[in-house]
Amino acid sequence: MMWLTWRQHRRQVLVTGAALLVLAALMVPTGLMTRNAYADKGLAECVGVLTSAQSTPDRAEACNRALHQFSDQFGSLSMLGVLFLVLPLVVGLFWGAPLVAREVEQGTHRFAWTQGVSRRRWALVKFGFVAVVTTVVAVVYGLGMSWWAAPLTQAAEQSRFDVFFFDMQGAVPIGYTLFAVALGVCAGVFWPRMMSAMAVTLGGFVGLRIVLTVLARPHYLPQETRTFPIAGATADLSASFGDWIVEKGIRDASGTMVLSGAQANCPPDASEPGGATCRPLVEFGDGAYNWQLYQPADRFWLFQAIETGIFVALAALLLYLAARRIRRVA
Amino acid sequence: MIEFVLDARSKVNTYVQLIQQVKQALRVGLLAPGDQLPKVRDVAQSLAINPNTVLKAYRELEIEGLVEGRPGVGTFVRRTLGGPPLADQADLRDDLVAWLRRARTAGLTPEDVIALVETTLRATLAADAARTEHASA
Amino acid sequence: MDIALEAVQLGKRYGRRWALQGCSFRLPAGGIVGLVGPNGAGKSTLLHLAVGLLRPDAGDVRVFGRSPYDDPAVLPDIGFVAQDTPLYRDFTAAELVQLGGRMNARWDAALARERLGQLGIPPKLPVGKLSGGQRAQVALALALAKRPRLLLLDEPVASLDPLARREFLQSLMGSVTDSGTTVLLSSHLLADLERACDHLLVLRASRVRLAGAVDDLVATHRQLVGPRHDGEPIAGVGAVVRARHTERQSTLLARVDGVVDPDWTVHDVTLEDVILAYLGDGETDTTRTDWEVPA
Repeated sequence: MMWLTWRQHRRQVLVTGAALLVLAALMVPTGLMTRNAYADKGLAECVGVLTSAQSTPDRAEACNRALHQFSDQFGSLSMLGVLFLVLPLVVGLFWGAPLVAREVEQGTHRFAWTQGVSRRRWALVKFGFVAVVTTVVAVVYGLGMSWWAAPLTQAAEQSRFDVFFFDMQGAVPIGYTLFAVALGVCAGVFWPRMMSAMAVTLGGFVGLRIVLTVLARPHYLPQETRTFPIAGATADLSASFGDWIVEKGIRDASGTMVLSGAQANCPPDASEPGGATCRPLVEFGDGAYNWQLYQPADRFWLFQAIETGIFVALAALLLYLAARRIRRVA
Repeated sequence: MIEFVLDARSKVNTYVQLIQQVKQALRVGLLAPGDQLPKVRDVAQSLAINPNTVLKAYRELEIEGLVEGRPGVGTFVRRTLGGPPLADQADLRDDLVAWLRRARTAGLTPEDVIALVETTLRATLAADAARTEHASA
Repeated sequence: MDIALEAVQLGKRYGRRWALQGCSFRLPAGGIVGLVGPNGAGKSTLLHLAVGLLRPDAGDVRVFGRSPYDDPAVLPDIGFVAQDTPLYRDFTAAELVQLGGRMNARWDAALARERLGQLGIPPKLPVGKLSGGQRAQVALALALAKRPRLLLLDEPVASLDPLARREFLQSLMGSVTDSGTTVLLSSHLLADLERACDHLLVLRASRVRLAGAVDDLVATHRQLVGPRHDGEPIAGVGAVVRARHTERQSTLLARVDGVVDPDWTVHDVTLEDVILAYLGDGETDTTRTDWEVPA
C-alpha cells in the first residue's frame, strides 16, 4: 500500500519539491538583501532603543527616521509576502482535493478498492501520506517565511501581529496547510468530482480563514486595556511597539469614547499652564486620555500556537469525517 | 492432430458439431485409434467457446466408446466407427464413379445427383426397416 | 454444488430511482454465466454490488456465502474488471503486476507475466499508451493473477474491435479451463455469449427477467406460427414469452413442455431469439406520451 501511494504520488512530490526550490530562489536573495540592509543600518540596536525605557528623544527620533527609511525601501517587498498567503490553499487544492475526487472521477477506484486492501486501510495510508508530506512542505515554507519576514516585521511599524504578517510566518502556515489539505480530502469524499471538490475547498478555506481572523483571533486571550495621558504620549506609544492594538481611541475625562481609532500626542509640557497649546486637550477636555485595547507583544507565540491548534484540530476532524464516509462513496 | 471449426450459424449445437467432426475424421481416416484429440483447453481457446462444451462432446464420444480419457494426459481415440474404412472400398468407389459419369451424361446437375442420392437412400432405408419389422412381426 | 453468487431480493436505489430491484438468482460454481440486458438495465449495478463496491439498499448478495461489502475477506476470491477497464494510466504493465502483488495476499505474478508475455504486451510502456484491446488483456491478466474463484467482467469487450474481442474471449476461455473459475460476464454481444456461456441472466428495467442454463433455454423454447390467437391456452405450451399478431396470423415465442397443438407450425430457436424475446419491446407507451405521438 505504501509502495502504491508513493508510486502514484511520485510526480506530485517532485513537482512540489521543484516549486519549493523555485520559491527559495525567489525568496533567499531578497531575504539576504533585506537582512544585510537591516544590519548595515544598525536597525537592530534601533529597535532596542525604541523599546527600552531609557531612550532619549533624539536617539528615538534618529532611530525612527532610520526605520522609516528602511520601510520605504523594502516595504513593497512585504507585499510579495502576501502572495504567499495563498500557498496553503494551493497545497490544499493540489494535494487534498484530487486525492479521492480524481480517483473516483477517473474510475480507478473500481480497480483500487477491489484488490485485497479494504477501503478504510487505503484511506488511512493515503491520508497519512498526504498529511505528512504537506506538513513537511508547510514547515519548510513556514520557517522560510519567518526568516524572510523577520527584518521587515521588526523594522516596519507593522507588528508581527498584523493581519498578513501574522499569517505568513511562524507556526500558523502549518495549521492552514493541514486544514486546506484535510478540507480538500474531505470535500473530495463528499463530492467526488475534481471541480466540485476544488470549489468547496476554495470557498471553505477562504471563508473560515476570514471568519477566524476577523472574529476569533482578537479574542483568543482576554484583551488588555492600556490608558495613558495625551501629554508626552511618545514614550508610551513606543512602549506599545510590537503589541497588537485591537482597538484604540481617545476618551474624555468621564470615560466616554470621543474619537475612536485615533491617538493623540502632545509635548510633555502641554498640560502645564503656559506651555504650548495641546489641541486635543482643548477639544476634548482636560482629562482626556488615550485608550488602547491590545494584545501584548509577548503573546505572539501563544497566539500562534492557539491558531495553529485550532486549524490542526479542524484538520483532524475533517480527516476523521472523510475516513468514516469513504465506505459510502460511489 | 485434427483441428475443429465452428459453424456459428448452424442450428446444430456446438458440442454436436464437435462430435460430428470427430466422427467424420474417423470416417475418412484422419484419425486412427491411438491418436490424441486436441486438448480441451486448446479447443476452448482457439474457438473461444466454453470448455464445458468441449468436455460434453468428449464425454459423449467416450460414452459411445469411440474415445477414452486418460487423466492428466489427454483424450485418445479408442476405435474406429465400426464400418469398414472408406479407403478400402475401392470397388464401390469405381462403381460410383461410373454411375456419376452416366448421371452427368443424362444431364443431371450435381444438386440433382445429391437430391437423387438422398431421397433414394431415405426411401431404401425406410423400405428396409419396414420389411425387417414385417419379417419379425 | 457450490453456489458462487447468490442474490435474494437484491435492490439498489439512487435517490428515488431503483437501479435494481427484486433480483433473486443462484449461480452454481464452475460455469460461465452471461449477464445480458439493455443499457441502464442494471448490469453494472449488479456487478458492483457483487464485488462490494456498493451497499445493497434492499435484500442480500453473497459470494460463496459471504457478503462482499461487509466482509472484505472475500475480496481475494473475487476478480473484477470494471467497464472501460480502468487502470492507472501512467503505470507500466510491469508496475501494475507489482502493484497487484503488494495489494493482494494471494498473487501469481508469474502467471500474469506469462500471459502478458505470450500476448506481446510491452512491459515498460505506460498502459495509457497501449491500445484498448491490450489494456483489456492487462486488466484480465491482473484479475486472473489473483487466482479468484469468481471472476466478474463488466462489458470487457464493448469498446474493442472484432479482432481484439476475439482474442480477449480466447484468452478468457483458455484460462478458465484450467482454473475452474466461475465467470460472470456482462455483454451486449449475443453471439459471443452463445459460444461462451452455459448459464444466462437476463436483466431488463432493473429486474431479472430470465435465469437458466443455456441448453435448457434453447431446448425448451420454440417459435410457433399459426392462426390468429388471442390468449387462450394452447396444448403443449407452458408460457408465451412474446406474441406478434397480424390480422390473420400469430407468431409466438413460447416455452413448451409437451407436444404442441398440431395447428401450429413449430420452429427451433437460437439463443439470440430467446434472449431478444425476453428483453421484449421495451416500455414504449410512456415515452410515446412524452413525445405526444399517438400509440
